[in-house]
Amino acid sequence: MATRSITYEFAKGLIKNNPVFVQVLGMCPVLAVTTSVVNGLGMGMATSFVLVSAALIGSLIKPLVPSEVRIPVYAVVIATFVTIADLVLRAFFPPLSASLGPYVPLIVVNCVIMGRIEAFATRNGPGPAVSDALGMGAGFTAALMVLGAVREVLGSGAFFGIELFGEGFTPLLVMILPAGAFLTLGVLMAIFNALKEGSHTVLIKAESKAEA
Amino acid sequence: MRRMIIVLTLVTVLSGLVLAATFASLSPRIELNRERALQASLAALFSDVDEPQFEQLEIEEMDIYRGEDAEGRLIGYAVAVTASGYNGPISMLLGLTPDLQQIEGLQVVENLETPGLGGRITEEQFREQFIGLDPMQSITTIRHVEPDPAANEVQAISGATISTDAVVDAINRRAEKAIDAIRDAEDR
Repeated sequence: MATRSITYEFAKGLIKNNPVFVQVLGMCPVLAVTTSVVNGLGMGMATSFVLVSAALIGSLIKPLVPSEVRIPVYAVVIATFVTIADLVLRAFFPPLSASLGPYVPLIVVNCVIMGRIEAFATRNGPGPAVSDALGMGAGFTAALMVLGAVREVLGSGAFFGIELFGEGFTPLLVMILPAGAFLTLGVLMAIFNALKEGSHTVLIKAESKAEA
Repeated sequence: MRRMIIVLTLVTVLSGLVLAATFASLSPRIELNRERALQASLAALFSDVDEPQFEQLEIEEMDIYRGEDAEGRLIGYAVAVTASGYNGPISMLLGLTPDLQQIEGLQVVENLETPGLGGRITEEQFREQFIGLDPMQSITTIRHVEPDPAANEVQAISGATISTDAVVDAINRRAEKAIDAIRDAEDR
């Protein structure tokens, strides 16, 4: 694998390899908690914290861990950070913790985290590992917030909890139900990929120029 | 083989230590948050009383609070009620008037109901329906038509009858027992 810059490892998580819209990983929290922007932000931050911490530790302990037990070892590391995140949320952000409910402990099984550790963190040094995790975390958080924003505006008539429309607005209830999550995700994914496709030709030109 | 065992043991022991330390340092704060949420809900039940004070009655298997105002006059009781909702437990406080003849109010302390549907049990429009109802009689849920408070009726939240029924059933199951227990405790 060619060595790439730290900035590249960060930036690829935002658009090129966005965990939600391109890799389609970790769909459970994406669909379940994005009923509002705040929930999306909270879930994204909690997941990013676990992602970055687990990637750093995973990358550091890689030489010590026999490959037969690497999965249980990483699972324990991930579970530890998830529990810390859950306790911190409960101690300092009780309302957010209440609205995310059981989805915080479920970060343990978010495949974005195990995926990045297996596919990237343990094959690279701590620097690129943290950079990659930060990028993936940011991409995940951004995707959750966009989904949350669309669903909150249409489904509750609010943005960040602030009412947008007057009495006359009837919220589209379906948008905050699970079906609304699938609808929003599908439409956003289509838009995202159409935009990506459009910029693709430009990117290829830029890349070939850079290589030349 | 031996290395595998050592590494796994070390990792789990270290994780255990880190978690124990985190839990020990954060649990007082988490407890405090829970206590604050309870106190806020208790105060919200008797929102027209300034600085209400609550004391838990010594009743087995039930959490019942006796409320007094700043001058020590009895303002009513609050009974902790837990319902099994659509997504998990709903914990509520049922307020009772000092004479135990009427429901003073209803507060939802914690719930995991679907936001926008079952989650609307926390809205005042739903909760205020319980005010003034007779806690000794069974409350019935009705749909489509206007509820009659004199007949102990409340209207279900549209699209969330499971959550509504859970709340009403839990109150019906708990209220009479709680009132008997309060009467026993206060006679002493």
